Amino acid sequence: MKNKLKIYLPFSLLILLILVMPLIVMVLASFQSINHPGFNLDNYRQIISNGYYHNAFINSFKIAIYSSVISMVVAIIGAWALTQLADSTKNILITIFNMSSSFAGVPLSFSLIILFGNAGMFKAITTALHLNDTFNVYSLSGLVTAYTFFEIPLGIMFLFPVFNGIDNEWHQASNVLGASKNFYIRNVVLPFILPNLVQVLILLFANAMGAYETAYALTSNTVVSVPTLIGYCINGEINPNIPLACAFATIFALIMWVMVTVGNLVIKRHKGGIR
Amino acid sequence: MRINKSKIFARLVIILILLYLVAPVLATVVYSFSTTWVKTILPEGLTFQWYQQILTNQDFMLSVLRSLFLAIMTTLVSMIIFLPVIFYVNVYNSKMKKHLKIITVLPYTIPGIILVTGLMELYQNIPIPKVIVLILAITFISLPLSYQTLDNTFVAHDYKAMFEQAMLLGDGPIKSFIKVILPNIKSSIFISMLLTFATAFGEYVITNLLLGGNFETLKIYMYILMQGNGQASSVLTTIYFVLLVVISAVLIFIMRHYNHHTNKDWKKGL
Repeated sequence: MKNKLKIYLPFSLLILLILVMPLIVMVLASFQSINHPGFNLDNYRQIISNGYYHNAFINSFKIAIYSSVISMVVAIIGAWALTQLADSTKNILITIFNMSSSFAGVPLSFSLIILFGNAGMFKAITTALHLNDTFNVYSLSGLVTAYTFFEIPLGIMFLFPVFNGIDNEWHQASNVLGASKNFYIRNVVLPFILPNLVQVLILLFANAMGAYETAYALTSNTVVSVPTLIGYCINGEINPNIPLACAFATIFALIMWVMVTVGNLVIKRHKGGIR
Repeated sequence: MRINKSKIFARLVIILILLYLVAPVLATVVYSFSTTWVKTILPEGLTFQWYQQILTNQDFMLSVLRSLFLAIMTTLVSMIIFLPVIFYVNVYNSKMKKHLKIITVLPYTIPGIILVTGLMELYQNIPIPKVIVLILAITFISLPLSYQTLDNTFVAHDYKAMFEQAMLLGDGPIKSFIKVILPNIKSSIFISMLLTFATAFGEYVITNLLLGGNFETLKIYMYILMQGNGQASSVLTTIYFVLLVVISAVLIFIMRHYNHHTNKDWKKGL
């Protein structure tokens, strides 16, 4: 009994101190404004009435949708391709994908600036060849491009186990039973992978929506998004406003929670439909 | 030959994806060796001067030391907290395992930017050194990695019997664990430590916002350099990339060498 306590106590304390308490305090603080003491809705009113803040939410949403959908399509093809390779190659490639997904953030942004920035290689080459370079890396589309660099490997890593789980014998079985390839894909493979696809897509979406480092390093001056806005509220040089950051984070967490819950419901319903 | 065709296509797909992912890194590596590169197709000349400039810079060395400190501390704390729990639920309490599994995915569902907002609000006026909060926060973020790597390692042997026999022979629980269990799971522990180390070494969001840039780690130094000196920060990016490559190479080596049976599952979590 004493040993059990010794084992669980540090773990529980960590969860309590780093996750539970901060989140509770965050939600509570979101109802306190720096201008008015006591419980009030000032921060939320401010967010709802300010067009600049609306833009942040819309941008975050756009970035997340575009980058997660594009990455998802590439990741589906990539994960399928991965299943076709030899086992030892698979392992090495997965470690490489893992590595490239951790190359996100400041180093990634910097690399992209070197490649596509105002003084970048692409500019140098196009200038030398007298071509017109219209791609602007410090924009929303630049950010979407940047996010694909960690969302694609992430998607492949999440999808690979799913695709690898498709048993080759299923194909043979349905073949023997006289099913066409179309039938096999529609009625055997799809029901198996679809719930997982939805789950991975939601994960990529949430991951893109919450990404701060890349957005901050690449486009903090040009594209306003919710994570960078929260960052400014926390340690902005002009006027830090942590309660406002808390309100943003609360809304943000709520949106993600709704997304995940709805996604899970869809999956459940879909699974129920098959049976 | 249909099968061959699809294999060739698969290889092509993987190569294209790898090329896409690696292109910016390669550009940065070339840039870090070039003198100037403004209006030409290739850089005008090659040089080591930027490397010399960075590697002899005291700010750089200090930032590496800070990142190392953070990474080592986080790795140790996460092992001390997580290893006993994962061992215990696997060997003694399978009911608890389900609950633990749910807790371990939580760091995925909560982005760093939200976590740091809560941490900032809670700890801004409490006189605890923020570095301690930071180490604990990164420990929490690394939970899924540790869990997925260590969880499956306990399937291989009857660790319960081994553990209890060691206890019967008169060793205490900690000593028994170190003598009997640890040698059997050392490759998993090493992988888990390496992944935690890499996470902590490259952490940015929480480090930057919680400590307000006062604790200049490698990534924060990289960001500061990025604002001014492009060449120097391309050197830094290259160094950071090389570090990731080395860590990955070690991981691949261990997994091949020990024929690691958990490697299918821990990757799900990355």
